[in-house]
Amino acid sequence: MQNEQMYIKESQEIYDAIVVGSGVAGGWAAKELCEKGQKTLMIERGRIVEHRKDYIGENKAPWQQEYRTRVDNLLLEQQYKIQQQCYAFKDATKHFFGNDRDLPYNTPKDKPFSWIRANQLGGKSLLWHRQSYRFSDYDFAANSLDGYGNDWPVRYQDIADWYSYVEKHAGISGNADNLPQLPNSDFLPPFEMNSPEKAIKAKLEALFPKRNLIMGRAAHLTKPTELHYSQGRVQCQARNECQAGCSFGAYFSTQSSTLPAAAKTGLLHIAPDSVVHSLIYDEQKNRVVGVRVIDNNDLSQREYFAKVVFLCASTLGSTQILLNSATKTQPKGLANSSGVLGHYLMDHNYNANAGGDVEGFEDEIDRGRRPTGILVPNFYYQPDAKRKFLRGYMLGGSAYRENWQSSQYQDGIGVDFKNKLKQAGKWKFGLYAMGEMLPRFENHVALHPTLKDKWGMPQLDIHCEYSENEKLMMEDAKEQMTVMLEAVGVTNISAKTSDKPPGLAIHEVGTARMGRDPKTSVLNSFNQSHNIPNLFVTDGASFCSTAPQNPSLSFMAFTARAVDYALKEQAAGRL
Amino acid sequence: MSHNQGDKSPQTHNKSRRDFLNKIGLLVGVGTATSLLGGNAISVAMAYTPQQDSTSKAGKLLSQAQLIQLKAICAQVIPKTETLGAAEVDVHGFIDNQLFHCHTTAEQQKVVTLLSNIDKESNAQYQHQFAALTATQQVELLTQIEMGGQSFKQQYRGDFKFLKSLICFGYYTSEVGASQELRYLAVPGGYKGSIPYKKSDADWGSMGLYY
Ligand SMILES: Cc1cc2nc3c(=O)[nH]c(=O)nc-3n(C[C@H](O)[C@H](O)[C@H](O)COP(=O)(O)OP(=O)(O)OC[C@H]3O[C@@H](n4cnc5c(N)ncnc54)[C@H](O)[C@@H]3O)c2cc1C
Repeated sequence: MQNEQMYIKESQEIYDAIVVGSGVAGGWAAKELCEKGQKTLMIERGRIVEHRKDYIGENKAPWQQEYRTRVDNLLLEQQYKIQQQCYAFKDATKHFFGNDRDLPYNTPKDKPFSWIRANQLGGKSLLWHRQSYRFSDYDFAANSLDGYGNDWPVRYQDIADWYSYVEKHAGISGNADNLPQLPNSDFLPPFEMNSPEKAIKAKLEALFPKRNLIMGRAAHLTKPTELHYSQGRVQCQARNECQAGCSFGAYFSTQSSTLPAAAKTGLLHIAPDSVVHSLIYDEQKNRVVGVRVIDNNDLSQREYFAKVVFLCASTLGSTQILLNSATKTQPKGLANSSGVLGHYLMDHNYNANAGGDVEGFEDEIDRGRRPTGILVPNFYYQPDAKRKFLRGYMLGGSAYRENWQSSQYQDGIGVDFKNKLKQAGKWKFGLYAMGEMLPRFENHVALHPTLKDKWGMPQLDIHCEYSENEKLMMEDAKEQMTVMLEAVGVTNISAKTSDKPPGLAIHEVGTARMGRDPKTSVLNSFNQSHNIPNLFVTDGASFCSTAPQNPSLSFMAFTARAVDYALKEQAAGRL
Repeated sequence: MSHNQGDKSPQTHNKSRRDFLNKIGLLVGVGTATSLLGGNAISVAMAYTPQQDSTSKAGKLLSQAQLIQLKAICAQVIPKTETLGAAEVDVHGFIDNQLFHCHTTAEQQKVVTLLSNIDKESNAQYQHQFAALTATQQVELLTQIEMGGQSFKQQYRGDFKFLKSLICFGYYTSEVGASQELRYLAVPGGYKGSIPYKKSDADWGSMGLYY
């Protein structure tokens, strides 16, 4: 289909389905709906970003960048105060981050929450780090075992086939490690470990029976299949500049993977620059019939209509829309008879790291920039009352040779100094913790009673902080990393905890959770609103817990499963 | 597609853009590649391009005299060898521009203060401004400053380390530093966990600047 026909502005048509958002979740919803014959309108608040053409930061060497990868102070101060806290915020990627000046939100002074956003076609799928891990039954059962949050209304067997389904399309590289807490995906070959990593793996696994060191699983085409080639995607070139966009289509993004598949059906339409303000709700029929939209640029209003609505506007984006869709009869927000909408906000906690020197291996080096690292999966997956905290964490990391960026701090100037910096430095090995965060009612978002953004959308008030449990977990991670690094022979170890606010792990989930009981949850086990049958929320808002794993692969699987269910329900006349 | 030998120049000095186009051209066809990527060329033009002579007038932050002094410092910290040094690739001009746009006023002040302290010490010890000293004297003085020795305050050491980090950043992110002094792989073609390495091999100039 020609782009001119795919992108629309005004339309009175009643689409089969509306998908709000075009990130990981929205891309999958649109692909699945279109491939199942549904005429679908994807609504995205931001501008169009075309695959390849709009990757304006791609493949520019540092010397081709205005400030050699850095960003102008004034721009940071005025427009990216929050976004710049994200490690991936660079000159080559800054245009894919939300603009903090235009997108205000509120937090109590003593409870910062750094809300990282990507408001354009593709959403955060352009920016993500592609780490992809399945949840296991240890994760789905965790809430029920310690009583925090509600029980997930699904178990691994409900979602396993859907993981396989999305993995084949997205392309997940990794090794079949056969771990109970981290089920295998349908893998493409894993990236290689370098020699120090292999050596550390061998020692660690010998010394600590339940602790494994595996290659990080990532949504990269290490060996594309025919399906991937047919999507126009080719092998990963190991540039590790992914967040600028990848013209090779070598990592999963909406642009590289789900959008082309949806577009190929001829059934996809996209309304860009369309900020969804609220859902249009038909009280009599108890159905949503469409959405109210404010134009991103000229602030004019319009409406779009459909038989079924999928909210995929990101965890907080979807909840904001539901809260803002309150009616006289549903004053606490649409689909919120339970009263838990907005509550149980979670993120991961990335506040401990450790590292040190690795002796030897001086006659080798790695080549290329591997876009993933190694992973030590959660070794606390079995609850244990003796531990000081609940739940667990994974450790990410890598071995690498130091380069001029650290060797520059040695003393000396002149030819000798220059020659030293010319050489690869010592091998180092570093780890960082990725901790689970407990679901708590008090961590929540609400609409600000008076403050609005420029589109007239009430601003979010975000109340979220790490509890003692998360802090104790990071202390433990620091200790355990030190113990493990010492045991495998790493020297000059330094380990620390930090206090970065929630938000910065960029794995926010919860606020419209699933559950079996309509009195205590917003969605059923198929991401369908308990209250309104033709309304689905399939992004992270639906999550009951974080698990230690990165969440986006699960967004894909739950989304595909929800579409399948919705169409079956529709066929049965129940939507 | 992966070259897994320890790379020898010049093949590894693939200049990013052309190499990228070639590579992607092989994959999606050259015509498509060029037209698809046409838009990217624009922003390249905005990058700080080394000037022939940044010392001919005042910069954005530094005076002309300070730029002349900084150029002399650059020349001693990363001198010309088989490859050009920091002064030849205008690291002094780069630092002036970078400090002005990307650093705090406290950091800007640090450099300005250090420059004036260097001249102060230079005048006291050699009765000349730093830029007028012989190369041997310059090295001697900068070494003293870096070591924070007797007559020098510990603050000099910290300030100098900061300036040195700016010089290194400016040099190793320049085209010469990243792709001639070091080996720059724009499109590695894949990841190899281990290839042979000898001390005489240049390090990768393309590591660690991204994520
Ligand atoms: C630097 C970085 C690294 C990450 N690394 C990983 C990782 O390794 N693994 C992992 O699993 N996850 C990772 N994540 C998180 C991951 O990116 C997100 O979990 C995922 O992309 C979220 O998908 P989504 O579709 O729910 O939301 P988004 O991708 O945010 O998409 C939501 C879309 O909805 C649009 N929208 C919002 N509100 C409205 C509205 N009112 N009207 C219309 N449209 C609207 C937005 O503009 C956006 O395009 C990372 C994120 C970042 C930023």
